[in-house]
Amino acid sequence: MKALEISGITFSYDHPASEEKADLRECALKEFTLSVASGRISALLGPNGAGKTTLMRIITGQLRGYTGKVTIFGRKNMDRETLQLIGYAPQPISLFASLTAMENLRFFGTMADLPDKQLGVRSREMLETMGLADYAEKRVSSYSGGMLRRLNLAVALLHAPGLLLLDEPTAGVDPQSRHHIYETLKKLNAEGMTILLSTHIMEEAQRLCSQLTLLDKGSVVFAGDMADIDDLEKFFLEKTGHGLRDE
Amino acid sequence: MIFRKLKELMRKELLILLRDRQTIPLLFIMPLALIFFLSLALQGVYADKVTEQQIALVLESAERTPKSLQLEKKIAGNKLVRRISRPPGYDNDRLFEYGGAQAVVFIPEGFAGGTRPVEIRFDPVLDAGYKVALRSLIIGLAAEVVLGVDDIETTMANFVVERTTKNRNFPSPLQQSVPGWSIFAMFFIAIPMSIAFLREKNDGTLPRLFTYPVSPNLVALGKVIPYYLINLLQIGLMLICGIYLMPQITGLSFNLGEHPIHLVPVTIVVAAASTGFGVLSAALARTPEQSSTLAATGAVLMGVFGGIMVPHVVMPLIMKKLAMISPMYWAHQAYLDIFLREASFGSILPKLIILTIFAFFCFYIAGRRIKWM
Repeated sequence: MKALEISGITFSYDHPASEEKADLRECALKEFTLSVASGRISALLGPNGAGKTTLMRIITGQLRGYTGKVTIFGRKNMDRETLQLIGYAPQPISLFASLTAMENLRFFGTMADLPDKQLGVRSREMLETMGLADYAEKRVSSYSGGMLRRLNLAVALLHAPGLLLLDEPTAGVDPQSRHHIYETLKKLNAEGMTILLSTHIMEEAQRLCSQLTLLDKGSVVFAGDMADIDDLEKFFLEKTGHGLRDE
Repeated sequence: MIFRKLKELMRKELLILLRDRQTIPLLFIMPLALIFFLSLALQGVYADKVTEQQIALVLESAERTPKSLQLEKKIAGNKLVRRISRPPGYDNDRLFEYGGAQAVVFIPEGFAGGTRPVEIRFDPVLDAGYKVALRSLIIGLAAEVVLGVDDIETTMANFVVERTTKNRNFPSPLQQSVPGWSIFAMFFIAIPMSIAFLREKNDGTLPRLFTYPVSPNLVALGKVIPYYLINLLQIGLMLICGIYLMPQITGLSFNLGEHPIHLVPVTIVVAAASTGFGVLSAALARTPEQSSTLAATGAVLMGVFGGIMVPHVVMPLIMKKLAMISPMYWAHQAYLDIFLREASFGSILPKLIILTIFAFFCFYIAGRRIKWM
């Protein structure tokens, strides 16, 4: 079964009022298609501005007004049940800094409809998994970069989603925290969780992922098995060019 | 399920609000300090000046005749004056500047014989109302002594009758300050409210929230209700301080009027208007910095025009008219209707309707303009 199927997605941030000038609009995604098999870790790579975060936001229901189709575990509507199947760790640390780790988990767990009893147990489990159990009652504002990343991931995993979407989950963390996150992801995948990983770190993608989708200027430039690629960075530059992407 | 989420949204909002070290001073300490200091500052400026205060008076006499002693006794015993002594070596100028005196009354040698009149010297900065009152008092008492009449005021009462209606326009300093600065602080809630919204929007927590099964309406309610409750708490605490604490500290009186029950609908509507203003500030700004400037400037301007900073009753006519553009004016007048004018609910209602329209306008515009992500 496919955990995630995206077909023919086109999306532009331009205002809909400019519909008559549709040909002039710059599309963040153009006829984008992607398929992630259940139980796999798939890498989503692309230069800055390629459309990775836009895609993540479409999958998680944050962006509307696109054409095309998104299917999650066979579900087409972005309803309550579908959203509960997704866990999303966004690139910015999206946590409430003046709340403790436990309070953050309680908040997001409640939003994910986790029952109270389960919420406490899962929160403690996640803090344990992420090596944050000793800091459960500390305010997030006192956390280091690595701790924040791990808690950001813990929040996404709290309701045990079937599909985990990670947008640069190791940005700005030390090697220890990075290693911890990699091991956690491998373990979760071994337990059957499907993961879509957006990253700029080639080593990370090659180490963790079995599938690769390479995205540039809103379109897929490559989709295939990671095993077929020897040097990912070289391959990436061949496909997307050496020009700087400063937009 | 919805109520559980709403409760958690509100809990989160309140925790963040109460843990913000700048918020509590802004919402609670600031109005308390303003009520305290500005009530004292306003004392005697526009309130019932003469009857509420005593004039500090140095009373001196150069002769010891029965008439001069009688006059001295009458002046010293009058409730309008508080007799103080001249510190040694103080001339009149120094007496007024440093000695705490507001007037000096001197009974010269020859008063009893009718050759020299009583002399009065006032502190040059003393309010004209006090001067007139003291002057009339001394003339009346001197006439009593000279003419040998016991109580000239009672004798004259048959010729002059006062028909002044009860004061319904001039609030006492606490009547002005307690609702005024409470309303001001209630509208200041727009600052933490809009900052919190924009901070969450910009740091990604709000967009992340929408990856969960939760509707924008529920999120909006979860944000507005805690601030609304804080508004109710603000006015409640300020009224309690106004009734019990401030009179003890300042010696000023404060009462709720004959219909304190009207405070309930007035406060409900004023809190809706102030949270509406907060939501509008959040919707119009793009960054927390913009929103705090917008909300603070808006609240201060509304306070200036609305008769919070300068009492409406002492404003010139043009400003009195302009005041009506400020929702704080309507809110303040609604409270003064209760405290001062003993107004019926029917006469407060038009003010509440205006405030409700303002609240709806704010929520409507915000609803159309707000971008959650």
